[in-house]
Formats: sequence, C-alpha cells, structure tokens
Amino acid sequence: MTSKLLNEIVEKIRKELKGKGILACSGGTDSSVLAVASKLAVGDQILSIFVDTGLIREGERERVELFFKKFGINYKILDESKLFFEKLKGIVDPETKRKVIGQTFIELFEREAKLSEAEFLLQGTIAPDWIESGGKNRDTIKSHHNVGGLPEKMNLKLIEPLRDLYKDDVRELSEELGLNTSLQPFPGPGLAVRVIGEITGEKVEILKKVTRIVEEEIESSMKPENRPWQYFAVILPVRTTGVHGDKRSYGNTVAIRAIDSTDAMTGTFHKFEWDFLEELSTKITNEVPSVNRVVLDITDKPPATIEWE
Amino acid sequence: MKIYVVDNGGQWTHKEWKVLKKLGVDSEIVDNDINFEEIKDSDGWVLSGGAPSITNEIPKLGRISEILDKTSVPVFGICIGAQFMALHFKGEVRASPIPEFGKTKVNFFNQGGIFKEIPSEIVVWENHNDEILSISDDFKICSNSKNCKVQAFYSDKKSMFGVQFHPEVENTQYGTEMFKSFIEYCRR
Repeated sequence: MTSKLLNEIVEKIRKELKGKGILACSGGTDSSVLAVASKLAVGDQILSIFVDTGLIREGERERVELFFKKFGINYKILDESKLFFEKLKGIVDPETKRKVIGQTFIELFEREAKLSEAEFLLQGTIAPDWIESGGKNRDTIKSHHNVGGLPEKMNLKLIEPLRDLYKDDVRELSEELGLNTSLQPFPGPGLAVRVIGEITGEKVEILKKVTRIVEEEIESSMKPENRPWQYFAVILPVRTTGVHGDKRSYGNTVAIRAIDSTDAMTGTFHKFEWDFLEELSTKITNEVPSVNRVVLDITDKPPATIEWE
Repeated sequence: MKIYVVDNGGQWTHKEWKVLKKLGVDSEIVDNDINFEEIKDSDGWVLSGGAPSITNEIPKLGRISEILDKTSVPVFGICIGAQFMALHFKGEVRASPIPEFGKTKVNFFNQGGIFKEIPSEIVVWENHNDEILSISDDFKICSNSKNCKVQAFYSDKKSMFGVQFHPEVENTQYGTEMFKSFIEYCRR
C-alpha cells in the first residue's frame, strides 16, 4: 500500500505530464526518488538523464548506472566533462559558476528533449532550494543551479513534484521506495563549488581523491545515523610550504567540512575526535602528496553556509 | 483555527509555516504587502524574519503596520518582525554593535505571555544585524543576551509577543513550546 505522500507525487506527475518527458537525475536522493516515482507513475514515458560533468566524485557515474538498472528506469548517460570544463575556464565567481553550469545543463536537456520529442522537464527541486534562490523579498543567498540557473527563455515546461517537501519528507519516500537512504546530499554543480577559484582538471583530480578518503574514513568508522549531515573536502587556492622527507615542498591546502543538520536550513560543525582527525589528515597527505596542509572548517550555519560557494 | 505567516522574505519563513502545521494548525504564507483586511479568517499572525534592515528598509515590510493597528487576534513577531513591532509601538531600534549569528545563550526573567514556561537560560539560534534597544512600556522585556538587550518581549493586554531569535529552527531550545503557547493564545 503506497503512502499518501507517494500517491500525491504519482498523481501530480500523471496530471502535469503530457506526452513524453525527460528527467534530470544526478543520482542524489531527491532526483532518484523522483526517477523511481516517475517510473511508477508513467513508466518509460519519461527518460531519466544523468550528465557526467567531470565534476562528480570517483565512482559516481557507475553507482548511478547501477541504480537505473536496479529500478528498471529508462535512462541515458551523457559524457560532457570536456564541455563543462571549457565553459568554466577562467571563472572564479561562485554565482557565475552556478549560472554557467545551470545554463549548460539546460542546453543539454533542451537538446535531449528534441531528440526524444519531449516537452516536459522533471526536476527534483525541494523546499530549501527555492527558498535560497531568492524570491520577491528573499536575499539571494545562493542560486541553486537547478532553479537559479534556469535561463528565462527555457522552452521546456517544468514539473517539480517535490517542490513543497523537505529533506526529511524526501528521506521517508526514499525509504518507502527501497532506495539507499544513507546518501549524503551532493550539490547540483558538484565539485565546481568545492574548487575555490578557477576550476582546473588538476585541482578536480586532487579533490576527487581527497573526497573519497574523507567519505571512506567517515563511512567506515561511523554508522549512518551517527554520520554528519554532510562531510566533504574543499580545495583552496592557497599553496603553503611543507617538508616531505627533508625536501621543501610547496603544496595544496584542503579544508574538511562536516556539519550536523536535519534539513540544511541550519547546522553545527561536527565535533570529531582528535585522533580521528589526525588519522584522516595523515591519510590525505600521504595518499595525495600534492596536498601538504589540511584544515578544518569550524563555522556553524549561520553565519556560514554548508558549502563554501 | 488558522494562523497566517506574513512573509518578510526570511529564509526560515517556510519553517514557521511547517512548525504550525506540525502542531496541527492550519497555516498559510502570505506576502507582507497584501491588503490584510481582506483576510477575515485569521486567528493569529506570525510576522516572519527577513533580510531587510529595520534601520533603512522599512518599505520592504509592506503593510504589516496595518495588522498591528487593526488586528484583534494575537501577533507573534520573529526577528525583523519583532523589531518592526518595537519600532511601531514607539520603541528604538538600531544596527547591532555586535551582531549575533548561530548559537547564543539568552537569559529569561519575569517570564510571562507565551514565555511563561521558559527556563532562565536557554540556547537559541540568532541571525541578526540589527537589534531592539527599547520598547513602549505596555510591553514587558523578558529576555536578553550578553550582546543584545532585548531578546524577547510580550504584552498580555495586546496579546502580542516578539523574539529576536528564531524559535522555528530546532536548534533553538523551547522554540516549539513558544509556538504551542502562541497557539493557545490564538484559541482563546
């Protein structure tokens, strides 16, 4: 017996979708719930699309493809890392990064919509996204790309069935549908907002390795319910001196960000044990030699946001 | 029973609506520049937080003064909502010499109104660049912090209540209790 909430979502999709639709699926909790709900609602009438921007974590693409297969979802994977890196060349301002990425996503989806003759785009936008995107009175804290980045003249009709739901509502749906519920939230623009300053292939590769180490160390030492709401790394445009085996080095700095929250609206930085932090830092600097300094972000939200950009 | 949340653009306005829903009350978010007299079924008003500065961006607070002048039902002002109430009833507001963000300890004293059950010291969540210095004497100040003299005030007579901090986020202790007490006032 499906829950009232799931039925509402399924009905909304059936009511609003006319003809074919495409669905922006990042493999995160929100869009995955939407992809499975859409399969229940209208089967293969919707094509779920995962865009490999090159700004995603190690193994992300493989994980998402497994998810599509496991739930029998009609899917397509776009390999567009070259395009995104070109579009982001030389861009430093965070809001511009988000807008450029958002627009590139939309251009890709418009192209794919034409290919599959779909007029509708389904997106997993949930309540906190549209709050932070600045409405009439709200200050634009950060335009979440799946809302803020939408160019005005988008000729795809948008369906956002999760628009009034909070993270905890979506988690309930995720449990009901048998999805992996211990996925931490991952931003739409991906690692682009965790490379502070200009994005280069080299920095992204470093960040991917450090991110994997942070996730592995935390996920292997903590049960899902004890893990921070979000835990990740940020690579800073700061080089500092180091000494590697009696040789002077001039390496990269990464920051660890781990925050406790229930719905991302507020948060307190996670208080790790000192020994855990020392092991984590040593593992990072050993396995990623170009990083010779690891710092910890100890700022709550507010005044800081969870992500750095 | 319906309590309206008047939206001054705060990032947690949606949460104020959600807390009321969770406490079993019908609620609706309305913009702050509508004609409030058209709303006949309100049993209470929550004036949300928001980004405008009380010191020079009053126009962004639309027509909420009409609520304070004409309403006969309880009003609960949060952050800039409370600052506007203070200013409206001849109080003083200013830019905070020391703004407060995130976790903050506040003291409560001569507790009354919706704050009757609040202990003498709690942890709250702050997010403000401006503050209240004083408020007219038909209101009672009942909370302060090290850096901010007026953290909460109430008037039983007017059944109006104000808080500088954010009871709608779970990081604020006793925040839900304050909403519960406010709902009781709206039921009278």
